[in-house]
Amino acid sequence: MKLRNLIVKVVDHRATPYVVVGVILFFMLIPIGWTLMTSLKTLKEAFLTPPTYFPKLPTFEAYEEVIFRSPVPRYIWNSITYSLATVLFILTAGVFSAYGLSKYPYRGSNFILVSFLVTRILPPLSLLLPFYIIFRVLGLIDTKLSVIIFAIYLSYPLTVWILKSFFDTFPNDLMDAGLIDGCSRIGVLFRIVLPGVATGIAAVAIIAFLWTWQEFLSPYLFLNSDLNKPITVGVYYFVGDELTYWNTISAAAIFASIPGIIFFLIAQKYIVKGLTMGGVKG
Amino acid sequence: MRLSDTKFGFILSMPGAAVLFLWILVPFILLVSTSFLRYDNIRPILFYGLKNYKFLLHHRVFWLSFKNTIIFCVGVTSVTFVISLILAHSLSRITRGSSLLRSLAMFPWAVPMVVSGFMWAQMFNPSFGVINDFLLRLGIIQKPMDIYGNPDLAMLGVIIADAWTRIPFMTIIILAGLESIDPTLYEAARVDGADTLQIFKHISLPMNKKAMLTGIIITTIFSFRTIDTIFSMTFGGPAKATYTFGFYILDYIYRYFNFGVAGALSIIMLIMLLMIGSAFIIHVLRTEQGG
Repeated sequence: MKLRNLIVKVVDHRATPYVVVGVILFFMLIPIGWTLMTSLKTLKEAFLTPPTYFPKLPTFEAYEEVIFRSPVPRYIWNSITYSLATVLFILTAGVFSAYGLSKYPYRGSNFILVSFLVTRILPPLSLLLPFYIIFRVLGLIDTKLSVIIFAIYLSYPLTVWILKSFFDTFPNDLMDAGLIDGCSRIGVLFRIVLPGVATGIAAVAIIAFLWTWQEFLSPYLFLNSDLNKPITVGVYYFVGDELTYWNTISAAAIFASIPGIIFFLIAQKYIVKGLTMGGVKG
Repeated sequence: MRLSDTKFGFILSMPGAAVLFLWILVPFILLVSTSFLRYDNIRPILFYGLKNYKFLLHHRVFWLSFKNTIIFCVGVTSVTFVISLILAHSLSRITRGSSLLRSLAMFPWAVPMVVSGFMWAQMFNPSFGVINDFLLRLGIIQKPMDIYGNPDLAMLGVIIADAWTRIPFMTIIILAGLESIDPTLYEAARVDGADTLQIFKHISLPMNKKAMLTGIIITTIFSFRTIDTIFSMTFGGPAKATYTFGFYILDYIYRYFNFGVAGALSIIMLIMLLMIGSAFIIHVLRTEQGG
């Protein structure tokens, strides 16, 4: 009983959560911190045994190498292209569908809605093969289009689902007011509804952007030549047969992580809020 | 002429539904049919019945990768769950600087998984990695451990690395669940004289069961079907110690070009994931009906 009281006392202490979070976060951030440190080392220092915890003389050598003397800028540009193209496509295709399904239901619209959710269950790894076969038949292997098509498959179903739930929360009265004022139904969508659900559109766009950005296996499988690689595959540029250039690979890793880090700095609040209000409640 | 509302909705949603059909139904049907074909890119394509499936079930590597996948999945999910549970409960009690701390807790999620593999590979390196150096200095180990030479350590290494990338998601799910528990419950329990451990056992855990289950199932499914971290850490090695289903599928597509077997393998994986998923859905339905 005495031990139990002690545990309760320790757990209840005001400082305890801060200490626990501090310790866990310290260990959780080590991989990123260590990568940052390595990216500031010379190649020789990156291979020292025992390793130095902080670079003796911080240098931007690795970053210069990555930016000026490696194809990484092109890889990053490719990643941006893939992500933006995917976002553009799923938004144009998804907004109309989600709007129709949410505001103008018809016989069978529920079936379509559910099939959007069901397809999320299919693991991407299983569909790599059929896409590979299709791309081979269509001659799309090693093209930018192949990566974009697969990325669309990854994020499209969820996009429609999220957009639909945002449209659901939009009040019908406002739409009716627009219709009475002489707007067409499409006009109502563009002038009244879309501005109203701008947050939802932004959320979907960001999620799809990040998903495409972080995708590795499909571009690895579909692309052969160096020209079209996204940054996730491009990191392998620094893995040589005899030597892995750890300092430059670290610099490239930092670049690859930047979009995600910016996203979580800004959006963390909304994620918790969204989850609290939606799905897992109950 | 003005369309009726239902027709308007139908026309509006058709292009999107067509995308769904083209992008998912067509590949899926192709996948199912491929799995019944002799399609090895050497001999002409032939209907093969269940021979691909039979071949797999008698293949030693199939069972090896099955075992590895299960160990990997269970390992990742349990490590992730334990750490996330502690982290989420601590985060929910923090008031000062909570926004920044929560953002920091999300950072591993921001790193593309294949890149996380590189980060951990570097830290686990026997000669210049920080983990070995740290453990050596503490005197926990006498000589550097080599996760690239020792199969058991390799599995442990990839589990740790993969769990690291999944902690943020599980944490945020548990945290959101905690925050939707009615605070008056805690107050009532306090008034009745319950201490923190009792509250944890009788309120925080049971009231948050659905969120925790969701997190556990999604983490299981995702670790089952992604190989990015393993890919850049050990590439399935050493001696196939971290060779999971993903690598098996990839090998049959990319190395042996035997699409029939790869198809059957994909279908088997799909069925396993469906079983995990439906077990979860049934459980949720039952708890909701039970009250």
